[in-house]
Amino acid sequence: MNLPARQVGQWIERRLSAPATAGVSGPRPLSIAILVALIGCAGIVPLVTSAYFLQLATDLLTFAALAYSWNVISGCTGYLSFGQVSFFGIGAYATAALVMHTAVPWYVDAVIGAAIGGVSAALLGTIMLRLRGIMFALGMLGLARILMVVFSNWDFIGGAAGLTLPAQLTPVAVYLAMWVAALAAFGLNYFLLRSQWGLSVIGVRDEEVAAAAIGVPTSWAKTVAFIMSALAPAAVGGLVAWNRSFIDPPSAFDPTLDLQVIVFALFGGIGTLWGPALGTVILVIVGEQFWAYLPELQLALYGVLVIAVVLAFPGGIVGVANRFGWLRRRPVAAPAVFPIVSRPPHPAPPGSDTIIEVRDLTVRFGGLVALNNISLAVRRGEMVSIIGANGAGKTTLFNAITGFVKPSEGGVFYLGKSVSDIPSHRRAHQGIARTFQIPRLMESLTVWENTLLAARHGRRKDTAVEQAAWALHTVKLDNLWLEPPGKLSPGQQRRLEMARALALEPTVILLDEVMAGMTRDEQGEIREVLRHFRDLGVAAVAGVEHIIAAIADISDRMIVLDRGKKIAEGVPEAVLRDPVVIESYLGKVS
Amino acid sequence: MIVLQLVVNGVLLGGTYILLAQGLNLVFGVMGIVNLAHGSIITFVGVFTYWLVTQTNLNPLLLMPLVFVVALVIGGVLQRLLLEPLAKLGSRRELLSLMVTFGLSYVIVEMAINLFGSQYVSLPNLQETWTFAGLAINEALVVAGVLGAVISGCLHVWLHHTASGKALLATSQNATGAVTCGIDVRRMRGISFAIGSALAAIAGVLLILILPLSAPTADTLTILAFVIVALGGLGDYKGAVYAGLLLGLVQSGVGYYLGGDVEVIVPYLLLIGFMVLRPQGLGQAAR
Amino acid sequence: MSGGNLRARGGAFFAPLIAVAFLFAATAAHAQKPIVVGASISETGPLAVDAAYHLKGIQLGVADANAHGGWLGRKLELKYYDDQSNPGTAVRLYTRLITEDKVDLLIGPYSSGISQAVAPLVNKYERPTPMPGASLPAIFSAGNKWAFQLLPPATGYIDGMLPLMKSQGAKKVAILQAQLSFTLACGQARLDQAKALGMDVVYSTTYAMPPPDFSSIALAIKSANPDGVVVCSYYPDAVGLAQALHRIGYAPKFFAETIGPAEDQFISALGPITNRIISNTSWWPSLKTHDNAGFIARYKAMFHEDPDYHAAATYAAVQVLGAAVKATKSLDPAKLQAWIAGHDVETVEGMFKAGPTGLSMGFEQYMFQIQNGKRALVWPTKEAQAKAQVPYTGQ
Repeated sequence: MNLPARQVGQWIERRLSAPATAGVSGPRPLSIAILVALIGCAGIVPLVTSAYFLQLATDLLTFAALAYSWNVISGCTGYLSFGQVSFFGIGAYATAALVMHTAVPWYVDAVIGAAIGGVSAALLGTIMLRLRGIMFALGMLGLARILMVVFSNWDFIGGAAGLTLPAQLTPVAVYLAMWVAALAAFGLNYFLLRSQWGLSVIGVRDEEVAAAAIGVPTSWAKTVAFIMSALAPAAVGGLVAWNRSFIDPPSAFDPTLDLQVIVFALFGGIGTLWGPALGTVILVIVGEQFWAYLPELQLALYGVLVIAVVLAFPGGIVGVANRFGWLRRRPVAAPAVFPIVSRPPHPAPPGSDTIIEVRDLTVRFGGLVALNNISLAVRRGEMVSIIGANGAGKTTLFNAITGFVKPSEGGVFYLGKSVSDIPSHRRAHQGIARTFQIPRLMESLTVWENTLLAARHGRRKDTAVEQAAWALHTVKLDNLWLEPPGKLSPGQQRRLEMARALALEPTVILLDEVMAGMTRDEQGEIREVLRHFRDLGVAAVAGVEHIIAAIADISDRMIVLDRGKKIAEGVPEAVLRDPVVIESYLGKVS
Repeated sequence: MIVLQLVVNGVLLGGTYILLAQGLNLVFGVMGIVNLAHGSIITFVGVFTYWLVTQTNLNPLLLMPLVFVVALVIGGVLQRLLLEPLAKLGSRRELLSLMVTFGLSYVIVEMAINLFGSQYVSLPNLQETWTFAGLAINEALVVAGVLGAVISGCLHVWLHHTASGKALLATSQNATGAVTCGIDVRRMRGISFAIGSALAAIAGVLLILILPLSAPTADTLTILAFVIVALGGLGDYKGAVYAGLLLGLVQSGVGYYLGGDVEVIVPYLLLIGFMVLRPQGLGQAAR
Repeated sequence: MSGGNLRARGGAFFAPLIAVAFLFAATAAHAQKPIVVGASISETGPLAVDAAYHLKGIQLGVADANAHGGWLGRKLELKYYDDQSNPGTAVRLYTRLITEDKVDLLIGPYSSGISQAVAPLVNKYERPTPMPGASLPAIFSAGNKWAFQLLPPATGYIDGMLPLMKSQGAKKVAILQAQLSFTLACGQARLDQAKALGMDVVYSTTYAMPPPDFSSIALAIKSANPDGVVVCSYYPDAVGLAQALHRIGYAPKFFAETIGPAEDQFISALGPITNRIISNTSWWPSLKTHDNAGFIARYKAMFHEDPDYHAAATYAAVQVLGAAVKATKSLDPAKLQAWIAGHDVETVEGMFKAGPTGLSMGFEQYMFQIQNGKRALVWPTKEAQAKAQVPYTGQ
């Protein structure tokens, strides 16, 4: 009697502990087959069902296209938007204007409408993408309102009274067009979640600052994602306007559209590939039945659903399925087996003697002077340790060198040239790599993908897979390559940070307290790597450190900072005995 | 003369806006989340007040203490049930809380529609207009403005001069630090949301005397409140006062000189303008 | 063998009986099969309150028709769904009514906005549909054949106000309009009318919905110093503007607002401010239109409240359909359309008469005034219950 229950229990247990699987990149044959079958159905459905079901299917596809597009900016990029309906309305009006004033066929109108939506996103993004988090979400909401008012006053396209469009499309034509739009939106999601380029966007979502530090052009990535998120809504808006033969500002910028789309995507699984589709299909069909019985409660039920999903299963349906091993995201570009790549010692390419130079650098935060007229240099071939009591300005120094903090006075020079106008990600391209005091790792990507992302923006970006494998092997993280960073110990996380830095094949690495949290053995391994940095193609290393014993004997030079000023510089043995240095750490001995 | 009247109107309007925004400010200040259900609470209480007054002929101002207490309790319960579970989620907490309050706003609005209907309602009390030196001053607006100032004042006194208030301020500035001082941060969060909801409730009672409210358009109030709070610098109480006044004055002027169509987008334009040019808002505190 | 013969003979005997029985049943069933009238109603959402009257007018019309034996010997049955005040939903519901439920007749939804979304559909499926919720003329323009307007066009709303003002010596007027299709159409028509009458428009503006704070606009009106203010409004803006004018202590001599003052709570919301505000209506209980008194009595008996002009419009829609069905003795859409397009019908709302594109040509516009908390018809003078009281004082 208990046997079936036990078997089910065992089966569930096996599924729950199923590990992430790597494999040949690209979609599985089963997925392709399902997709082809679905596309085939698209052709048949219009012929066998009634007009009512055709209309329902069309609405379903409309919502799927919108949900996938919302997923692009809010799920994949992490910029939660409460105003994507702005692009729906822009597309609707663009198409309407084309219909009224040109003789272009409808499908071309829809494509042009989509393009106009994309252009608007590019333009609006210059303002909106400067905002983060809540401000972006509500800024988009405000944008939708502003657009509604602007279009209400724009008589060229009907103003507040709206426009009646002359001809109509057949329902079948609309259905097929929506199918294309939904597929396109799905395709964009697939591109972001399964391609190497897409890793940049996910990196921006998880850790925008660290992404810039490993060379991801974050503004560009965000803008592209924003544009992508506008294309399908604009096309869909145009098609809906065509289909209804009527458009006016309240219906074009209808905020309940946003609500429904958000609920569907959230319910299915925000930021996942199949989430929006699942959420839309389940909720639209369930909703159809539901609001026939409980029409007065529809909005309330949506609200309750949002709350329930967020509190109970924020990953949505896909999140629940993931726990059973289904619909798991497969790591991008991960070979079936970890490729061991080791290289013979190779020096950095030759070049100028001074790698990094800081001249008269002053950084102020309001009234606080973090760095006070500092000048120092990091030269080719050497490892420099930078030590000092807390608050000395060490991390601020690194932030200024890598472009995360703007100097109030003075300059930063790399390979002899000033870098003050160069944004962080380009400094990374040029060969300045860094790690962070508190590891900033992309939590939703595996160790492999974190490293691959850096490799794609470094000196060996054409052989990124090989480079990533080499970097991980160098820091001895081979066996953990498919784990998420959350499962790593603090020491392992710092090794991953190092791997990311190495993957860039940089000229200089800036290590911010890399030894912290490591076991003795791990420290030993990193010391070995640092001892031989010249064989890894790196020209110089600078490390901020508190655990002085770990770096004193492998450093060529040591610099001591105290309250924003350089107080000592020289070989480690001499510096560590300098009374000024001792006093800054321990206080005066009277 | 006209200019003076516009200024008076603007200041009184600003008082209304301050009333609208303070509850939202408190919640954001301490919990770091924007309560998207803010407008729905105001509207629910507003239409409830209308319903009760038309049934019983009570003076609506007498309702204020009752409404304050009830909203306090319900707000505390909702915070415990819906928002506290999210507190430990770290960086995702902000956006997830946004979603939860988003869902909550629809539940409250739908409840209001089912209980009290979906049409616009308003109450005719406090219609008197006083003339002073040729300027017309309306009773309802003065009451709202004065009460807005009083509430802001009480809030300020409580936050800066009482132990419990200072504990709340401490939590808003640094939760970890507050914990180490022995402050029960969980209780602080509950209190801030409860008081924020209670303030919204009072705003509802007063606003129904000034302008027509309707359940389906509750979110307009949320957006307006958010604009004021953002303009003033999120969490900055003095900033919200300046922002409310600024918004009132600008709208007053724009409405007169440029007409009704432009008047309505003034809040959104100001919001986007400030967010881009001076994200820390009008107040001193930079968040 | 004999059994087989018997069976054959039995079959020969029974077969015609069975055939006759079938025929009987078929005709009986056909005779019993009701005429289904389909519609979508905004039972929920912002339009729900007014749409309730819309629905009740239809229900009364159907009940009255059935009390007289139905049409063509068949009873009427009403089938409706909730469109939640959403045009997209309404489009889906009408598609369902036409293609799935295969209703015999259709009646349009409440409000111009939703009617505007549904009109292309009824043209596509070629079903004659009276639209008692649509005042917007644009719906009934070139290209429309199958939708019929059952309300006077928006452009005529409050059109008696300017002549009334002029007849009392007024020269300057302020005209305001909400930014919604119906009020814009109305407002534009009023601006044109002012020009035609040689009156001076000293201030005019549009405003968005939901309405903004009106205090600055009120000040601007006061500065312009018109003799009268005419507002093409809905409810919340009608309330807001009246309040704003009161707050600055300004009362124009003539004050008219559309829609809002007709709602019950307008008077309870504003109290004495409403005294002498003028507004529009397309129907009034005191009118001597066809069977108006009977309509009011039966409505009261069925719903225990007074009807309003929305209910009158939908009741009229049922009357028009009934007249067409009985005259053509069929439910054929083409025949019905041709008949409705070519004939006038007496209804509780007045004389229904459709222009070539379905635009209403027959209904009249009336104006009422709130006088000490009660509403009285004041225009046109021949149907007026009371004389228009001037000036508006704001108390």
